Amino acid sequence: MDRRKFLKQSSLASSLFFVPSFVKAFEQVASSDLGFKRLVIIQLSGGNDGLNTVVPFRNDLYYKERPTLAIPKNQMIRLNDELGLHPSLTPLKRLYDNGYLSIINNVGYPNPVRSHFRSMDIWQTVTDSDKFSQSGWLGRYLDHYGKQPYSAIEVDESLSLALKGERFNGIATQNPAILHNLSKDPYFKNISRHQNDAHLSEHNLGYLYKTMIEAQSSAKYIYETSKTATSLQQYPDNKFGKQLKTVAQFINSGLDTKVFYTSLGGFDTHVNQLNTQKRLLKTYADGIESFVEDLKANHSFKDTLVLTFSEFGRRVKQNANVGTDHGTANNVFVIGSHLKKQGLYNQAPSLSNLDDNGDLKFEIDFRTIYATVLNKWLDIDDQTILNKSFNQLDFI
Amino acid sequence: MNRNNVQHLYWRSGFGASPDELREFSKKTRKEIVNQLFDNSKQTMRLDVDTSEIIAVIKNEEKLSPESRRKVQKLSRAKIIELNVKWIDQLTSSRAMLREKMTLFWANVFVCEDNNVIYIQNFNNMLRENALGNFSDFVKNMSKEAAMTKYLNTKQNRKLKPNENFARELMELFTLGEGHYSENDIKESAKAFTGYSHNSKGVFVFRKRQHDETIKTFFGKTGNFSGDDIIDIILEQKQCAQFICEKVYRYFVNDNLNKNHVKKMVEVFYEDYNIEKLMRFVFMSDWFYHEENIGSKIKSPIEYLVGMKKLVPITFENEKQLLFIQKQLGQILLNPPNVAGWKGGKSWIDSNTIVLRLKLPSILLNDAYISKAKNGTSDQMIIKKQAFKKQYGKRFKTQVKWDSFNKTYTHVDIEDLPEHVLCCKISKRTADYLKTLDKVSKREYCVQLMSLPEYQMC
Repeated sequence: MDRRKFLKQSSLASSLFFVPSFVKAFEQVASSDLGFKRLVIIQLSGGNDGLNTVVPFRNDLYYKERPTLAIPKNQMIRLNDELGLHPSLTPLKRLYDNGYLSIINNVGYPNPVRSHFRSMDIWQTVTDSDKFSQSGWLGRYLDHYGKQPYSAIEVDESLSLALKGERFNGIATQNPAILHNLSKDPYFKNISRHQNDAHLSEHNLGYLYKTMIEAQSSAKYIYETSKTATSLQQYPDNKFGKQLKTVAQFINSGLDTKVFYTSLGGFDTHVNQLNTQKRLLKTYADGIESFVEDLKANHSFKDTLVLTFSEFGRRVKQNANVGTDHGTANNVFVIGSHLKKQGLYNQAPSLSNLDDNGDLKFEIDFRTIYATVLNKWLDIDDQTILNKSFNQLDFI
Repeated sequence: MNRNNVQHLYWRSGFGASPDELREFSKKTRKEIVNQLFDNSKQTMRLDVDTSEIIAVIKNEEKLSPESRRKVQKLSRAKIIELNVKWIDQLTSSRAMLREKMTLFWANVFVCEDNNVIYIQNFNNMLRENALGNFSDFVKNMSKEAAMTKYLNTKQNRKLKPNENFARELMELFTLGEGHYSENDIKESAKAFTGYSHNSKGVFVFRKRQHDETIKTFFGKTGNFSGDDIIDIILEQKQCAQFICEKVYRYFVNDNLNKNHVKKMVEVFYEDYNIEKLMRFVFMSDWFYHEENIGSKIKSPIEYLVGMKKLVPITFENEKQLLFIQKQLGQILLNPPNVAGWKGGKSWIDSNTIVLRLKLPSILLNDAYISKAKNGTSDQMIIKKQAFKKQYGKRFKTQVKWDSFNKTYTHVDIEDLPEHVLCCKISKRTADYLKTLDKVSKREYCVQLMSLPEYQMC
């Protein structure tokens, strides 16, 4: 372990206990000196059609299997001689041109499951596809390295399994004012005021009091800290835009949070896919561009890495309703300013070598991406979190 | 039996006791009360929503066309919400309280989910019918439900293309627990479950031609085993009784296992896998009423919601809001997170759910207001309350029957309200704070009590 890692880990470990405020102050100085890296995860729920997102426009099979669904060559945003982006992704092309985007093709896992719930579960809990876990990978990160519930924040209404650990949980908030308002009733303050910290987690009732007190202070901290950030950046006027704006506000206010999680749903395009996906990808790309601009203006982009995934891709062959059915491997987008491998990380998937269902055979295991991010970006031991050793990739 | 013990038994075997029940049963012996509990649950009242519209679509199509399937799915989506709401009502008002509580318990052992309301409704009623019956029959029935053959892919499990999903979970999650079987046991038993399928109406169909008739070796035994044979062999393992008794103990007694108590349960259960006998044994045991077990569990979101509805009757004008609350609290009936089910215990509680749980009674029942009127100053409360109603009262459209509460609690002294509303003692400092507040009315005091961490316990 190098010195940097040691400093970081030991300061995180010590804060698991109640420490005097001067120690906390010291910690903050230390962590900002070391560069406070943040990870933002964006989940595209429903199974985004990766083949119409990053399009293999030189491949005849693509047009043959999708006679009324393929993106025409002349509408494509060309990346190179083989691949192009969906026309809604113009903003993403600008990130690509600036070297801020790495596209990892053909990401999946062995023995893929085509159920939304189960596959999302696998991505969130990081298990083999025939195993189960009741804790999420970011929750386990909190178990080992988290200090407070707000060490990981989901900008949504409720907390995903991804952020639930064995012992610690992240916190979900769409609007810090609402959470703060709910928890600040003087009645709750009064019942928590005189509780004796020392015995609080010994039994279930103690655990409830402890969690209540932490929730109150977290809600207050998030609300009061985040309102110090002001942003001039315009965001698209939709729920996803608002969520990203909230994430940027959290980051730019210097909130002591390592991981942010948010999602955009509706990608389950079995019927009339073209319009739906066009609208959703536009929502995604416009939101992301505003987000990156906002972070850049506040000098926080350099310390932020954005990872976008979907629980699975869709079948190569279109169905009878100008849509696509559940498939397997998909592309993952990595956005940041410190990318080692910018642009296309690897080759497009083969459309001729398919599995028995007519689905793509994955090339890169998503867990190697997680391992890389944990190890190279968050600077921690990935094996502790993922319960297994995975190869590291070199996109960061 | 003293009131405290009656309340304990009623919370664990159901969702709490009313003042009348407390009064009546505190005069009876443990045996009398437990007998009555089982008598009340003798009959199975099915949980059904009207599915005639869907049956009309299915008609006699042996295999549904894509169009019919989409129609069924669409109709099912709305019907599953209806089923969810109806289940909550049945949990709240059924006389067969224990059977309903057991159904809820089994739904988190034999975890299943399906987007066809007929299949999931059948599955749910199968749980209800077998909830207090023979465990061996139960597992066999469960293995043949349409919803289960879909959920764990037994349907795709064929002679030449085995799918091990069901065989694995049967042992790992339903009967034995991880580490008590080999990979080879999974492979071999998967063969025995080949050919399991169902017709479009959800009736079990055994496809003989897909069934693997070869000789299988399972837990050291060799033969041409059927799926039912495999289940019999699993139940011969004492570990199966151990595994289920541990689950029962965690759910009905305490999150932390007491090895001696569990051991005694296993002796009872392993004899003939009679679930009713096991539950009688638990409720009749002295240790069930030990202080460390009383009020020591964290209510699940459904226990919390149903308990609240029993205390103060409330109906939602928009049923989706009831589901919204379930989602926010982390437990949507008929919609488990995965085949491992809900983890329960402390995992119900995170920063978000604790804040919501503390605030929800006041939001739903009292215009978001918790009285903080100090002794002798309660006159300002009404003005404050109106302001609260304006600001927060609009979110949920509910009908709250405080009249009914007042009637039920007429003969309860306001000073005795805590023993009706709460299952555990109020921690000292909180009690000290409550003493400084005015007991304006039973209603306001009830909301204050429901807004405590103590109210989360059962």
